[in-house]
Formats: sequence, C-alpha cells, structure tokens
Amino acid sequence: MTLLRISDLKTQFPTPDGIVRAVDTIDLSIGERETLGLIGETGCGKTVLGLTLMRLLQSSTKTEGTIIYKGTNLLKISEAEMRRIRGEEIAMILQNPTTSLNPVMRVGGQIAEAIRLHQGLSKRDAKEKAIEMLDAVRIPSPSIRVNEYPHEFSGGMKQRVMIAMGLACNPSLIIADEPTKGLDVTIKSQIMKLLKEVTEERAMLIITHDLGVARELCDRIALMYAGELVEYATTGEIFEDPLHPYTRGFLGSLPSNGLVPIPGMSPSLINLPDGCRFHPRCGHATELCRRKHPDMIEIEDGHFVRCFHA
Amino acid sequence: MLEVLGLTKYFSSGLIRKRYLRAVDDVSFKIEKGKTLGLVGESGCGKTTIGRLILRLTKPTGGKVLFDGIDLFALNRRELLAIRPRIQMIFQDPDSSLNPRMKIGTSIAEPLKLHGTIPKAKRGQRIRELIETVGLNPEHVNRYPYQLSGGQNQRVVLARILAMNPDLIIADEPTSSLDVSVQAQILNLMKDLQKKFDHTYLFVSHDLDVVRIMADRIAVMYLGRLVEIGETGDIYDCAKHPYTQALLSAATVDGGKERIVLKGETSSPIDMPAGCRFHTRCPRKRERCTIEEPELVEVGRDHYVACHLV
Repeated sequence: MTLLRISDLKTQFPTPDGIVRAVDTIDLSIGERETLGLIGETGCGKTVLGLTLMRLLQSSTKTEGTIIYKGTNLLKISEAEMRRIRGEEIAMILQNPTTSLNPVMRVGGQIAEAIRLHQGLSKRDAKEKAIEMLDAVRIPSPSIRVNEYPHEFSGGMKQRVMIAMGLACNPSLIIADEPTKGLDVTIKSQIMKLLKEVTEERAMLIITHDLGVARELCDRIALMYAGELVEYATTGEIFEDPLHPYTRGFLGSLPSNGLVPIPGMSPSLINLPDGCRFHPRCGHATELCRRKHPDMIEIEDGHFVRCFHA
Repeated sequence: MLEVLGLTKYFSSGLIRKRYLRAVDDVSFKIEKGKTLGLVGESGCGKTTIGRLILRLTKPTGGKVLFDGIDLFALNRRELLAIRPRIQMIFQDPDSSLNPRMKIGTSIAEPLKLHGTIPKAKRGQRIRELIETVGLNPEHVNRYPYQLSGGQNQRVVLARILAMNPDLIIADEPTSSLDVSVQAQILNLMKDLQKKFDHTYLFVSHDLDVVRIMADRIAVMYLGRLVEIGETGDIYDCAKHPYTQALLSAATVDGGKERIVLKGETSSPIDMPAGCRFHTRCPRKRERCTIEEPELVEVGRDHYVACHLV
C-alpha cells in the first residue's frame, strides 16, 4: 500500500539573482515498509526535497503540488497538525549529527523531548524511554550515557543518537539525509547494519550520494539531477540495466567501475539549460535533446526514465 | 625517492602529569620514483600527521626521512627552503587551500614569484601553460575561487603545485570533498600528470576504492602503526591483517558479499591498549594479542603484516 505519494511537487526559492528551482515537478511514491533511495550529487535538490516533505523550509519558499500522506495533503494542513505529524508519523534524521544535536543539552533530554511532546509521558518515564531507545541503537551502558552531552560521544555514536531520536515515537516513515556521511568505513558498516534493522519495520526515504549505501539498503532508487528525477526503478534494475546516460555516467565514474568521469559539471538551478537538463554533459545528445525537454516515461513496468534515447 | 625510517610523533599534553598521544609510532616505508604509495586508515590513525612530518610542518619525535638520499630532518632553514619546492602537498579542501581574495592567476603566480624560478616577463606565459595542463580555460585566470566549483579549484591547486616542478607530491584526501563524477575527473588528471612528469605520490585516503586505482603499493595504518603494507594487488586479493580485511569488506560496492562488521570504535591514542592495538576490535584475537605487540613480518614478496595470527 502506498504510504506517501508526491505529485507535481515544486519547491522554489526567490533570490535576488533569480528563482532557484531546487525541486522541479517531482512525482514519487513510497509504500509501507518500503525503502526508497534518493540519489544525486551536491546541489541537485535532494535535501530540499526532504525538507519540503517535513515542511521545514522558511516561509519565503514557494511550494506547489501535493504530498499525500495516509490520505492527507501535508501542504494543506495547519502548522499545529503538521507538528503532530513531525516526529510521530514522519521523522527526519538530519545530516551531520555534530551540528544537528544541541551541544548544551544532555543527550537523553534531546531524545525525551519528542517523547514527552507526542506521547505525554512524565519526565521520568520519558527518560526511561530514552534509555530504552539508546539501548535499541546499541549504545553501551545507556543508563550512564543518557546523562552525557553530545561532545562526549564519537561521530558514530552521535549518528546512533540521531537514529534513536528519529525512532523515539515509532514513526511510519523516516527520512534519513546522508546518514553515513563523514563516518569512517568500519563505523559506516555498523550504522548500515543498524539502518537495515530499522527499515524492516517501517518505510524509509534515504537521501544520499553514496551508491553503495543505496544498493545495500533500498528497494527502489530514484536518481535526481538538476532538480528533477531522471530515472526511477528497482535497485536491481538501476545497477544491472541503467537506462539514463546520467545514471550510467554516475555508475561509471565510481572508482570500482573504472573511474570514467562525466565531463563538465551540474548546472546552476537558477540558470537551467534548455531542452534536456543533462544534454550539455551527455555524449548521446542530439538536436532534439537541445530543443525539447523530455518527459518521464515508463519504459518497462515500474522503470521510469527521462530520456529521448532510452 | 622517499624513505621513511622509524618515524615517530608523540603529542604531549598536561604540565605535571604529562600524557602522550602517540600519533605516529615507528612507521617505516619506501616509495620508488614515479610510483604511488596509498596510505590508508580511519580518522585519527595518524596518516595526515605522516604527510605533515615529511614536509616538516610538524616536528618529529624520532625517526628519519630520506628524500632522494637527503636527510630532511637534518636540514637547516635555508637548505629546507631550497628543497621545499620539490615536495608539494595537496590538501583535502580545495576551497580553503586558496586565498579567497586572490585571483586564480595570482594564486598560481605566487610560488613562481616566491621562489623566483622564472623571470617576471615569462610568468604570464607559464601560468597559461599550467592552466591548460590541468584542463582549465585561460579565462579562469581572472576569476576568484568562489566563482569556480570544488573540482575546478582542485585543478587550480594542482596547477600551483606543478608550477614548482615537484618530484614528490603528498596528496591528503584530495577528492574527499568532491562528487563522484568530479572525483573521477581529478583522479584521472592526477594519473595523467604523474605519467607526464614522473611524479612520486604519497596518496593519503580513507577510501579503499580510490586507493586501489591510484596506488602501486598500499600501507594500512591503525592507531599510529602500520599493520600491513604490500603491492596493491596483493592487498586486495590476499589481505592478511583482520583490520585490512574488514576495511576491504566495508568498501566494496558489490552487494551480496557478507560484510565484516567490526565491534566498537578505535581506541583512544592516549590510552593505547596493551599488546596489539587492534585486539579490542579484532574478531580473531587470542590471548597473546593482548600481551605482546606484533612486529611487521614478511608474508609474501614485499608484503608485510603485523599480526600474530599470520
């Protein structure tokens, strides 16, 4: 069953230099207990998409389209209703745990905050619950750690705390933004193992630039380029039969796949190229690609591509 | 070209009860001319400190570094200044390696001016040559770093290094802040330059996939010590040290294979565990490992491992 359906979603930031089209006409859906990977490079709009879903962007942002979660359009409900959804229904594990945790607040208090707000537990019960959560994300001696401050935790431990905060109110959907960024490889393996367990019981949207992470955790993968989706398919198909030249280029530029770079660089989201947004970097671009913007088409059952030549 | 012998660096803290942080402990290796040694390890293992010690940016506690037969630690200030152009370093973050208020051209001209290798009249010509060698356009000369992307700035850094005609380049995670498609561009450029100018590289990285492509030999570090060193092929095909094996299993993108997930985190380099430094996380530890520190022993042609179990 579909848990979340995004249709025609647009997020734009007006700036003195022009309108930044960070998220441009995106359609996506996430099923119950499904893990979807949103992959893209720096500045493609993937984090903005996550923040749009949580309605965490500043008020000057222009958002259009619909985000249907369990039958309600999240863009239409009041701020109070949205506050109930955040944390309890949809939780976000933000990028960079070091700056996302409050440095002057005990770790336990930060986890308990959401629990007290949503579940109305007493201070003592919420703390018990926080200890339980720390134990669930395998932090050793949780009853001592709960009283410590973020600076007493290592990078991997802080990421575990972030995950514990996300899980605290048992949400149906978790949005994890770059959950393994900046972690050492052996710690990354530990966090991935933990995330894998988390995904067994709920839906998750993983925003990342790391294909290794996506391959291991996700059921389906959506590739984002310059604000829009360019390919969307099951993880197996993305890796075995990628159709969009950007997906192929992205896979090919991995060191383990031969290190063939994509020439040029991503366009600015203010000044998008005409036609297909990828055409200036694409080896197969034709006159058509320069002139006309391709639509997303379903090539095979459930495999969508935005390319004239796929 | 470069020979490092028993290199050691302790940082001390505390006035009365002095405590020592053993950042680099008795590390020895050699790099042949025109070859690349990949230095791999997790954060805090001392790999960056080794780079800085070779450049004499930090004072060593003990050991020797021979560069082209010259003992770098025995040089006085003037002699050091004369030899510095031949050893250059690329840092992790290209944006902070360049002066934000200096035009790209000025940044590249700076070392030429300082070392006075080229008469003023010919400098412009040389800068244009360098810009072209690293794949930038002549028009970039008049731009500022903020007007270029991370990948382009890293090219500028490379141009500035080439201006010195170095023999040895120490690259400290040169692509860790770049997107994969751009990372591939920079790594390919570094390989081309090496072929063209016969550079010797010490390539410091935590990314085993990248090192595999770049390096002829690989040295793996854990808590200030080398645990394994050998030809790239040998390390990837028959790694002997449990730590190397865990790193490799964490790095490879191919799904399917079971990961080795190490328990816990790297111990603090101040309160080092007795015996083998890795024993607290080692899945195969024996009693001997907790008492006696293993030495590097030869296990194959030019392949050394510090582990009691091999």
